[in-house]
Amino acid sequence: MEGKNTMAQLKSRSRTGAGKRHLTLALFYCQNTPESGEAERQALEGKYGSSLRLFPIPCSGRLDPIHLLKALEEFADAAYVITCPEGACRYFEGNMRAKKRIERTRDTIAQIGLERERLGMVMNTREKPKALGVIASEILDGISAFPPSPVFAKRKASKEKDS
Amino acid sequence: MITAEQKPLDEIRGTIASYQRILVLGCGSCVAECAAGGEKETGMLASTLRMAAKMEGREVLIREKTLERQCVKDFVILLDDVIHEYDAVLSLGCGAGVQAVADMFPEVPIIPALNTEFLGETKDQGLWVENCLGCGDCMLYHFGGICPLARCSKHLLNGPCGGSVDGKCEINPEVPCGWQLIIDRLEQHHALDRLEHIYPPKDWSKKQGGGPRKIIREDQQR
Repeated sequence: MEGKNTMAQLKSRSRTGAGKRHLTLALFYCQNTPESGEAERQALEGKYGSSLRLFPIPCSGRLDPIHLLKALEEFADAAYVITCPEGACRYFEGNMRAKKRIERTRDTIAQIGLERERLGMVMNTREKPKALGVIASEILDGISAFPPSPVFAKRKASKEKDS
Repeated sequence: MITAEQKPLDEIRGTIASYQRILVLGCGSCVAECAAGGEKETGMLASTLRMAAKMEGREVLIREKTLERQCVKDFVILLDDVIHEYDAVLSLGCGAGVQAVADMFPEVPIIPALNTEFLGETKDQGLWVENCLGCGDCMLYHFGGICPLARCSKHLLNGPCGGSVDGKCEINPEVPCGWQLIIDRLEQHHALDRLEHIYPPKDWSKKQGGGPRKIIREDQQR
């Protein structure tokens, strides 16, 4: 069934060499994440180039499923959200709302056969919260085993065929 | 408000599979309030369907638009300039909205993306509850503003049935007993005497016994 795509399948497809295109991560982050100011954002995008697109949001509770879907539809192989630690949201429950929305959006993409793991959330740690750059690097490492998104694969194949 | 929920994606994809140019049409009224068919949900569904089409390698045009109301012709007419661009419209309106759009543009298939559910109230964020059957003969005055037809699981006009426990219905301990609510409210209003009246069986002819209902107001007509 389409909805049963798992991390194991993702990695298995990656091992078969299904595409060598570099991956693009859309990373939404709460602006209360340490070291996530404009200068840091620009530095990170400069460092990772088109592999990383950063989207600051005033609170992860501002995140809407449409943001994640549009990212996956238009350019991203994976879309992640960084939230404040549980119980530490400046707006009380923004991070918990984000969690529910991500879960629902994962269900949605699973219904069309897209792997749930292409959407994720990283809740920062209460003790020594990590900086934006550290978490971004960890997420990029984590998704590096993913194959390119099938949303773009067919289109790319079709274009190559046409040319 | 009319409540609705989105149909399963598999079902939606099946109904639009034979079309190449599809307008996903939202409605900014009731179904927006219940987070089923407003602008946001319309964008999400359109985006998801576009992704699904890309993954299948299908060249399909899927655009989105949201009308303020799909059930009012003054708004539906706004499609006049664009509807010829599409083979089909996937409507996120309620059943009334779908049919209103279809009546105005009978040459285009108007396909429902939602299951219309009930007349209800937004009880809390993310919680909608049924509280009106649209019976055509409102009796809320007699029952302290709580409808025994919609909120008593047995639709009793002369309750309670005696099966409730701690104010909860015997069909499900999470469902408040409608008659407990009625009695509490009438007691609050010092109007328990209204329950001494024996109510005759409901006259359902005012609901659908006479076929599809309509309301005519000449003072509102052109």
